[in-house]
Amino acid sequence: MKRYALIVFSVVCIMGIMTLGASPAAAVKIGIVLPLTGAEAKFGEIEKRSFEMAVEEINKQGGIKGEKIELLIEDDTGRPEVGRSVAEKLINKDKVVMLGGGYSSSVTYAVAGVAQQNRIPFLVNTGAADKITTSGWDYVFRLNPPASEYAGAIESLLTEVIKPQTVVILHENSLFGTSAAQAFEKTCEKLGYKVLLKQGYEAGGIDFKPVLISVKKLNPDIIYMVSYIMDASLLMKQSKELKLTPKMFIGGAAGFTMPEFRKNAGVASEKVISATLWYQNLKYPGAMQYFKNYKAKYKDDTEYHGAEAYAAAQIIADTLNRAKSFKPEDIKQALSETYAMTVFGPVKFISYDKFKNQNKLPTYVVQWIDGKLELVWPSDIATKKFAYPVDWMKTWKYTR
Amino acid sequence: MEKKHIVYIILGLLGVVFPFLVTSDYYLHLVIIALMWVVIGSSWNLLAGYTGQVSFGHAMFFGIGAYTAGIFMTKLEISAWWGMAFGGIVAMLIGLFVGWVCFRLRGPYFALATLAGGEIFRLIATNWESLTDGMVGILIIQTFRSKLPYYYIALALAFLCIFVIHVIMKTKWGYYFVSIREDQDAAESLGINTTRYKNISLLVSSFFTGMAGAFYMNYMGFIDPHVVFSLHYISIMAILVGIVGGVATIMGPAVGAFIMVGLQETFRSAFFGLAPSWTSEAHALVFGLLVIFVILFLPNGVVGDWLKIKRNVFRVGASS
Repeated sequence: MKRYALIVFSVVCIMGIMTLGASPAAAVKIGIVLPLTGAEAKFGEIEKRSFEMAVEEINKQGGIKGEKIELLIEDDTGRPEVGRSVAEKLINKDKVVMLGGGYSSSVTYAVAGVAQQNRIPFLVNTGAADKITTSGWDYVFRLNPPASEYAGAIESLLTEVIKPQTVVILHENSLFGTSAAQAFEKTCEKLGYKVLLKQGYEAGGIDFKPVLISVKKLNPDIIYMVSYIMDASLLMKQSKELKLTPKMFIGGAAGFTMPEFRKNAGVASEKVISATLWYQNLKYPGAMQYFKNYKAKYKDDTEYHGAEAYAAAQIIADTLNRAKSFKPEDIKQALSETYAMTVFGPVKFISYDKFKNQNKLPTYVVQWIDGKLELVWPSDIATKKFAYPVDWMKTWKYTR
Repeated sequence: MEKKHIVYIILGLLGVVFPFLVTSDYYLHLVIIALMWVVIGSSWNLLAGYTGQVSFGHAMFFGIGAYTAGIFMTKLEISAWWGMAFGGIVAMLIGLFVGWVCFRLRGPYFALATLAGGEIFRLIATNWESLTDGMVGILIIQTFRSKLPYYYIALALAFLCIFVIHVIMKTKWGYYFVSIREDQDAAESLGINTTRYKNISLLVSSFFTGMAGAFYMNYMGFIDPHVVFSLHYISIMAILVGIVGGVATIMGPAVGAFIMVGLQETFRSAFFGLAPSWTSEAHALVFGLLVIFVILFLPNGVVGDWLKIKRNVFRVGASS
């Protein structure tokens, strides 16, 4: 009997320990949910670094009303249900005053549900599926434009320069991929381009040749792809191997602007264009500075995902400075009154069409030219002239 | 009264008062998830541990249960709680079909068929967008903001599941199941309709797994095909819960569920923030190593090899 008493005693002890463990608050705690492991870890890394860099600078300048910002960056592993428990942990156990981050759309969507239910403000900086800000949630604010608007600049490039007749859309079967592909299909219908094929593929796929062979048979003018990193690189590599040569390969942001895309795809990434939300040359205060600082600190390039995270940290600091108190309602109120300049551009949360608390920003087109990501559209702010038309066989260094 | 019963009663009471001892929603959440895994692990164990029909596709039943509840809510506008009952029933019907096709065969066919079944249903859920919304997933707003109701529902479900399996294993059915596992020919020659009893085992198993799936939908409020039909995170996890806890023991999967959920969260959160953050980056690796360790040194699981653990761990501790 004694032994059982011991077991019961130890169980009670463990429970006791579990209720403790909350550390005394010396700083304003902000919870950040990002994928630090799994297939999307590279995006998580670039955003984590940018968040940390920004907060370091903010704290150096005195923090928020004398208090320092403490970021609690937690790994969502790219899975919605983990994202959900992470958000619950941050809200209930760590008592964060607000949430930030949110990379993949599905995770962001799940986290947004938790935030809304617990009435904790959530500043989304990347999760792009329209649904995140069309659900009528008043505690959810989004810094980046919705996925359906990512192709805005691509659209004018298409009508003014490329003028395609036929289009093929390939997308990853994910919340982001599906909604961006649907939006682009609608754009094509509006512009009178014929969509020959709209095909989703499984996340984590490695052999795209079957689908690319059928694309080659269709011989479209342009191929629009919504992909994360590995799939983006593989799609381009395998297109090169199959000598698939449309007028243009277009990436719908996400994987196509990352330095890893260049590293993995090599020469196959050359001349590929992509939608983007940011470029370091844009005339936003601090944009170039951020780009240079990032490069100096981490010996690697940054791109729009990093800028989003950096800007999110700026907005968080700005909001907390204006908020009457660190209570969720006051922070939410302050967020909705935001009108601030960031490295990512001016930020203001407005409600339009179906969207609620959505920031509106122009988009841009970048192209990989000689291994560098160059801004090519709109042409008045371009850093390099849009390389078009492209002789793919020459670009890929095939000798005939 | 036996000692064993006293332990069960204490455990039961502890379960009931737990939310009053630990008020943090975060720990409550972990326990709710663990209780859900108790149900899935126990159901898997009934089929694989006791009846010997190893399933690599419990995600199939889990996902069907979850999607039944979700679709009830989004398409029929019936409370997702009805899905708790119907999720189990729909999962059972699918189980009936799978069993009807596979159980007349022996050997690895059932394992392979369930493996394929899980993937097939994932693809159906991904591509049948008009019904399931595909990868967009289904999001419902939960009924309760507090975690308490969910806790008690999960607790009740876990107790019900363990109790039913406990009772089944005491009856004739239980002996039939074990005899099928031990030697199907011998069982057949004793007049047991092995196909039927394999099917019965599968039905009970799929019913509870489907209910767990429907509970997941109600509790988490968000599902998509990759989450609920996941080979890795549901099917394999169900097997690990069973194996780590102890195959063919009543309490094994229950213990296994708490161990697996606990370990997973401990590593993911870098020992609840106490360890340096790089430990969380290595969590998948460490977790894998631990599972290998358990399979190598405790092949019958924590409960099955409890005597071995006691002998090796506690005696060493006493003598040193």
